[in-house]
Amino acid sequence: MKYFIHKTITRSMLVFFIVCIGFFAHCKSIYAFDLFDIIDPDQKNEKLQRAKRILDGASNIVSSGEEMDYESELSLGESVALEGFKRFGMPISNNNVQKYVNMIGNAIARNSSRPDIPFYFVVVSSDRYNAFSCPGGIIFITDTLIKSMEDESELAGVIAHEIAHVCHKHAISALKRAKFFEGVGKIATANSSAEKQKRYSKQISFLQDMLFDKGLDQSMEFEADNTALDLLYRTGYQPQGLIRVLEKLKTIQKRAKIQQSWFSTHPPLKERLFKCEQNISNYRDINNLAQVKTRFITYRSYIK
Amino acid sequence: MIKIIGSQLRLKRLLIFMLVCFPIYLLASKQVWVSSKGASLKSDKKASSATIENLDIGDELIVLSESGPWYKVQSPSGKKGYIYRGKIASEKPQYIPAKDSGNSGGSLGSLLGGLTGSNIKANSADTSRSIRGLSPDAETYAQNSGTPQKFRSALHLVLSMTLSDQEIDLFLKTGKIGEYAE
Repeated sequence: MKYFIHKTITRSMLVFFIVCIGFFAHCKSIYAFDLFDIIDPDQKNEKLQRAKRILDGASNIVSSGEEMDYESELSLGESVALEGFKRFGMPISNNNVQKYVNMIGNAIARNSSRPDIPFYFVVVSSDRYNAFSCPGGIIFITDTLIKSMEDESELAGVIAHEIAHVCHKHAISALKRAKFFEGVGKIATANSSAEKQKRYSKQISFLQDMLFDKGLDQSMEFEADNTALDLLYRTGYQPQGLIRVLEKLKTIQKRAKIQQSWFSTHPPLKERLFKCEQNISNYRDINNLAQVKTRFITYRSYIK
Repeated sequence: MIKIIGSQLRLKRLLIFMLVCFPIYLLASKQVWVSSKGASLKSDKKASSATIENLDIGDELIVLSESGPWYKVQSPSGKKGYIYRGKIASEKPQYIPAKDSGNSGGSLGSLLGGLTGSNIKANSADTSRSIRGLSPDAETYAQNSGTPQKFRSALHLVLSMTLSDQEIDLFLKTGKIGEYAE
């Protein structure tokens, strides 16, 4: 009995303590920041400044769980997109192909869990087999990847996979996790404009590294594959389109450039194929859905 | 006396029968929710049939029957019609956009004001996109990182691409995709 009471009291105190940390960190801008300025305006007291930095770190931990607004998400996406052009190449000049890819993408996005945001799609000229999504809904796909496909459902499969990443906010989640650990390991400094820009640049650098080179967590990739199958089915494309493109990539993997490609940034194709095959059995009448070969081949021929 | 007892017994049996049947009726009626933008209730099992009612994401529908990829449903207003299976889900969508207030021709302020948070309209965002260019943070980043103007111009062009619902519908129809499949 005594042990139970003791355990309950201990737990209650721990919860109370955590709530206080959260409340105090949230009120930082009202109380703690101004208080430190009042007590130590010249920032000479090292102990006080250290306490202030610890508070900023706690704020990082608490705010890492807060939802990022769309404007901020898109802003990050725009900067990553600029880096995407630098790394992979400029958009191809054929506007008909650009519009065609945007048509497919928007038709799929209507059925996604984020029908409220605009999605943008761009085909870039690159020798890599790659596609990636920037936060906020800017999606890149290389002309080399498109040229390896045979029908519209395969292109739709890749696009649906990238839309799924945006819907699940995978890149933002990864960024939040990194910020969480930064809050624990590295104490943030004061919120000056220069510091904000520095932090923003670090975020872009992190996102670049993840999206262009290392890839997201495998669990996120499998989740995107699963959602992509659902999006394809709901739109009316054959979900097997995604499987076909993965199978094609498996055959060309040996001769393709691996760095900065779908090969280096995604889980092993064998594993992805296995999971997709399992999930596809949940859908009925899939063979009656659209592949759309003729239209695709026409637009593919426009890509030089 | 016997008649009274007999009628009471019948009444009890009727009540028990109703108590048993009512839950079965409830379980038998299936609910689905509209989960796609641009969904509508059709008079027949084809996209070219007349539109009975336009539906919003989050609208709860009662399924009356299924026929291939089409569901016969009853909408919240009580109207009956058909909807393509790709437009509905067995669970209520987590995000339900605010209903269109018809303010797409509103002032710039109201358009920009609608951009905060996740509750934005695609038309509003697209219109403001063509007006304002890159976001301030992205513009500052581009300047600080020495991003050449050609990349900024390329991105601006990408972000200026807008497609109407009618264009997308025609695209799907031409490809015989989804509800336009024959």
